[in-house]
Amino acid sequence: MRAGTSRRGRLAIVLGTMALGGCNHHQSVFAAFGEEAAGINYITLVMVAGGMIVAAGVAGLMIWAVRARPGALSLRGGERLILIAGGLIPALVLAALLVFSLPYMRPRGVAPADLRIDVTGEQFWWRVAYRPSDGTAVVSANEIRIPVGRTVLFRLAGGDVVHSFWIPGLAGKMDMIPGRTNDLPVRATRAGRFRGQCTEFCGLSHALMAFDVVAMPAEAFDRWLAAQRRPAVASADPGAALFLRHGCGGCHAIRGTAATGTIGPDFTHLAQRATIGAGTLPNNEAARLRFLREPAAVKPGARMPAYPQLPETEARAIARYLGTLQ
Amino acid sequence: MIGRLHQRFRALRVTLWTLIVPPTGWAAHFLFSYLWAAVRCAKTGRYVDAPAIFWGGTAAALLVILASGWIAWVQARTPGDHPPHEAGTDSDRLRFLAYATLLLAGLSVIGVVFTALPVLFLRDCR
Amino acid sequence: MSLHAQDDPELRRAQEERLRTVWAPPKGWLRRWSDTNNNAVGPWYTSTAFVFMLFAGVLALIIRAQLAVPENDLVSANTFNQLFTLHGSAMMFLFAVPMFEAVSIILLPQLLGARDLPFPRLSAFGYWSFLIGGVFVLGSIFFNAAPDGGWFMYPPLTTRTDLSGLGADIWMLGLSFIEVSSVAAAVELIVGVLKCRPPGMRLNLMPLYAWYILVVAVMILFAFPPLIAGDLLFEMERLLGWPFFDAARGGDPLLWQHLFWIFGHPEVYVIFLPSIALFAMLIPTFAQRHLLGYPYIVLAAVGTAFLSFGLWVHHMFATGLPKISLAFFSAASQAVVIPTGIQIFAFIATLAAGRVIFSTPLLYATGSLAIFVIGGLTGVMVAIVPFDWQAHDTYFVVAHLHYVLIGGTLMPLFAGLYYYWPLVTGKQLSDRIGRTAFWILFVGANLAFFPMHLSGLMGMPRRVFTYPAELGLQGLNMASTIGAFLFAFGVLLIVIDLLRSPWRPLGPRNPWNAGTLEWLATPSGEQWGVRSIPLIETRYPIWDQPDFVRKVDEGRFFLPDAEEGRRESLITSVLDAKPVAVLRLPTPSFVPMATAAALGGVFILTTYHLYWLALAAAVLTLALVLAWLWQTAEIPEKPCKPIGHGIDLPLYVAGPLAPGWWAMFITMMADATAFSGLVFGYYFFWTVHPSFPPPGMTGPGVFWPMIALALMVLGWAATLAARETNRRGAVTAARLLLAAGALAGLAAIPAGLAGPWLSHLDPTLHSYPAIVWTLTGWTVAHAGVGVVGQLYALARSLAGLATPTHDADIRNVTLYQHFLLFTALVTWATLGLFPEVA
Repeated sequence: MRAGTSRRGRLAIVLGTMALGGCNHHQSVFAAFGEEAAGINYITLVMVAGGMIVAAGVAGLMIWAVRARPGALSLRGGERLILIAGGLIPALVLAALLVFSLPYMRPRGVAPADLRIDVTGEQFWWRVAYRPSDGTAVVSANEIRIPVGRTVLFRLAGGDVVHSFWIPGLAGKMDMIPGRTNDLPVRATRAGRFRGQCTEFCGLSHALMAFDVVAMPAEAFDRWLAAQRRPAVASADPGAALFLRHGCGGCHAIRGTAATGTIGPDFTHLAQRATIGAGTLPNNEAARLRFLREPAAVKPGARMPAYPQLPETEARAIARYLGTLQ
Repeated sequence: MIGRLHQRFRALRVTLWTLIVPPTGWAAHFLFSYLWAAVRCAKTGRYVDAPAIFWGGTAAALLVILASGWIAWVQARTPGDHPPHEAGTDSDRLRFLAYATLLLAGLSVIGVVFTALPVLFLRDCR
Repeated sequence: MSLHAQDDPELRRAQEERLRTVWAPPKGWLRRWSDTNNNAVGPWYTSTAFVFMLFAGVLALIIRAQLAVPENDLVSANTFNQLFTLHGSAMMFLFAVPMFEAVSIILLPQLLGARDLPFPRLSAFGYWSFLIGGVFVLGSIFFNAAPDGGWFMYPPLTTRTDLSGLGADIWMLGLSFIEVSSVAAAVELIVGVLKCRPPGMRLNLMPLYAWYILVVAVMILFAFPPLIAGDLLFEMERLLGWPFFDAARGGDPLLWQHLFWIFGHPEVYVIFLPSIALFAMLIPTFAQRHLLGYPYIVLAAVGTAFLSFGLWVHHMFATGLPKISLAFFSAASQAVVIPTGIQIFAFIATLAAGRVIFSTPLLYATGSLAIFVIGGLTGVMVAIVPFDWQAHDTYFVVAHLHYVLIGGTLMPLFAGLYYYWPLVTGKQLSDRIGRTAFWILFVGANLAFFPMHLSGLMGMPRRVFTYPAELGLQGLNMASTIGAFLFAFGVLLIVIDLLRSPWRPLGPRNPWNAGTLEWLATPSGEQWGVRSIPLIETRYPIWDQPDFVRKVDEGRFFLPDAEEGRRESLITSVLDAKPVAVLRLPTPSFVPMATAAALGGVFILTTYHLYWLALAAAVLTLALVLAWLWQTAEIPEKPCKPIGHGIDLPLYVAGPLAPGWWAMFITMMADATAFSGLVFGYYFFWTVHPSFPPPGMTGPGVFWPMIALALMVLGWAATLAARETNRRGAVTAARLLLAAGALAGLAAIPAGLAGPWLSHLDPTLHSYPAIVWTLTGWTVAHAGVGVVGQLYALARSLAGLATPTHDADIRNVTLYQHFLLFTALVTWATLGLFPEVA
């Protein structure tokens, strides 16, 4: 059934994309790259087509009713119209729709060997931990990489408040609720760089809580994950010392250094990420500097404090150093 | 036998309270379905160990709704003319309430069947 | 009084003079605000709700201006969050629900041929509460203190005092206050429909508007109290630190979501059905025939009411509940489409069978049905769980809900506005402006909201103050903004049309040639409602009963006079509207306004943590309520009076015959529903925790809860015995029993508190002690109110205002005790016995 679904799903994608040529291809249900999203697109297509038929039918009946000659409908005929068109036909159509949709609710099966990725929503960023079946954990933040063609289980938790984890092209969304964990098994079908975003209102910078999603060929993913396990390369960059001296390590961890904080995002391989501030700014030196100088202007309500007393040159050095964390 | 029963039902009065019997049957079945699933999933993590309980509850709800629908049907046909029951008489008021009850019974049956459909497809707590 | 007497024009003139004097509104710039007549309160209520709607609409325009282009900085994130929170909250709580109540206060007495609703002072109280609460909530935005957690206020974002400020308290307490006034209105409307119909208006002849209002008011009764219970838990967490929603201390944020949406989904139908009810009135008029499928409409209204309570989890499809639970709610969400479809087809069938006059109101009606159908179809889509996983909390849902609410509430209200404006003011609105405005609104709504379906699926979440340019959403958002401003322009045209109305000449009576009772109203506007209360024999009496209007106007039906100088209307039986009694209605008074102000004080002072002042306001409220009640259930100067046609009716009734008893019954149903919300909380926590009470915590034990239960049973039994002995004439024994009952109730309070107190349960530690204390507090507070009731009945008896034959007070107090007994049984069994068996 799955294979059939994805074939029909692809048809839906093609039609959808044709209708919306020129729109974004990385955060949209019309740019599906996962089996779950493709299956839902097929349901959508069926419902949109059916809905258009129903809307046209009702509109036509309404126009006929207003224009019909007086008494065009007898009392018995009218009651029959109400019962059949208003009651019985909708009941049958809706029962069919319900039965059609129920199998799509069954989550994909997960084997113990499948990769698990723990994601926790924080105000306003994403804590990520890869948990391969060997039991180790690889901590990261704000960018998620997944292998194409393999089942991946997202285990979602709420850190401070309720957030919602949504990668439109991959699958439907799932809430992250403090005190609960929710499982979202998915499988990507093609490689590429995509985007996800928080969809449950979570405070001031709810709009600025996004993340990058990179779907990679499975072997490339394995190599990447192996590289991620390694700590950061020791650096003689003056920024490294300044980072520690100004207490940045109290919140941010850089594995292999004295920075072990867990309040903010992990920076161990920061330079590999395409964006900073949970999808808010591009990951370049100027943007990193700006975030460091005025976090509240970039991201209202973020817990990152401003460092007005930090000399410009030292701030620059830290921003430059963070760019070396490959 | 059936004739006697007919007489009994004719004697039963349809009121504003009996109007809501069929949808109350749906509501009871719906709450039962949801709470049964929610409590079992929260406490044991397994949903359908004993599907007989669910189907038994569904049959009971359908029975109550169909019975009230049948009583209403009998009363809606005394003395036997068709809607609109819009005369200011006791019998038209009775037949109107009975007819509305009958229609509600129909909707409630559909509601119960809809509620039961998911159990054919989903049987665990994921 | 014979029919011949009414042939005398002199007598008729004298009667009219007396009626006019009795029903004259209070005069003077200050006194006029003491009015309680539905002809005054209804229009105040309606215009206030309309102004609040315009205000909330302006907030929406600022939202659309901010989102017109990507990465805009017209308003800050902070302001934006206040804007959308207030827009949603105001449209729901300050416009849609109150508007239906306001319109019903104007229309219902007219539709039922009654002189007023059964509790005019309660209507006035509801209005003043609404005004005070509305100004309080909306005014907060001018102080940058408006709520900013979304209209759904999900904890822990809103309960953590480090993440949210005063705005959350303003939302909770200000809107709780308005919810109380909504429940008050529901009581008024249910009793009005069931007990105040004109003679002969059996259930099968009732105007469909009245059927809808009955259904909707009952829905309010079961939908609002769970939110009030939720509000209570919410404020206990915010103000006292009781952790109902704090996962770290055994709470669960999902409990709020359940309680909120148990309210929130029926709420959608609470605001949709009254608008459909307006269609059910105006479509027969413009088809010039009876509505086809009357029982189908009743089926649809009742069916929708029931099914709408099985939909709440469809707002929680993404919360990770077991899929089987979601599927039940998906099924019910599909099923609710069927009654909605039936209603739409009943209208289509009526139009097809009739001779259609395509007037401005009908233009609005058909246009809004077209919009609504699109909203309904996208509603079917989001009811399908997998699709909702994509659409949920995106602009797709924003599009869906605005199609539903504009097509199912706002535009129907405009249809009703153009239809009923001549009824209320005697003047017609401009057809030309109305039609122009319609097309602007229609195009504006579609241009604003249709693109949102696409922007949502293209990745635009709801409640974002900005979006990056790279998402390619500029074009769609710009279209939405232009559409929104176009829509606002259409509303502005309607406002201009309304403002020009005072300068227009009076129109004819019943200008649309409608067939239902409300069109008996005269353009010049008499305050008495109907000249005489008619005997109803058909569904469309003006069309079908010969000489109907003339007979009403010449006072040839019931109660054509006000001999004793009292405001009077009729009480009739529920099923067949047989005359039961004459209802004496109260006169204008400032007491409702003062009570609303005092109760408002309780909520507003609590918001600012001024607890002692709030307590003083609460005591003042109680005193005012008692003073208010003291004037009710008065013993008449004579037992009976003639109402015409040789019928003599009593002037005093008690028990289930009396509106007061029904009001108590309905209020207590709402109270019991709120209580069920709290009990749901207890058992919800039980399912969430592997063991509840949690390990290391002991409950209040069995002993003290059982003592409290025994005392409360004693109080109930004493009250019941007092009612019976009083009825048999043993007044002294009845007084002693009431005193004994009050003592037992009083003793139950410390006994109830002793359980959790002696076992040292600290409510700030964990959700278990918190919910135990909450249930205990709720129950002993109700026991306290029970004692006040028993003492009130005792005082009435001692003052000679209640006697063995005039025992309405003690019957109502007994009814309260029945509900109290239920509360006591559930609470003490849950707290004392359930931990032993679970």
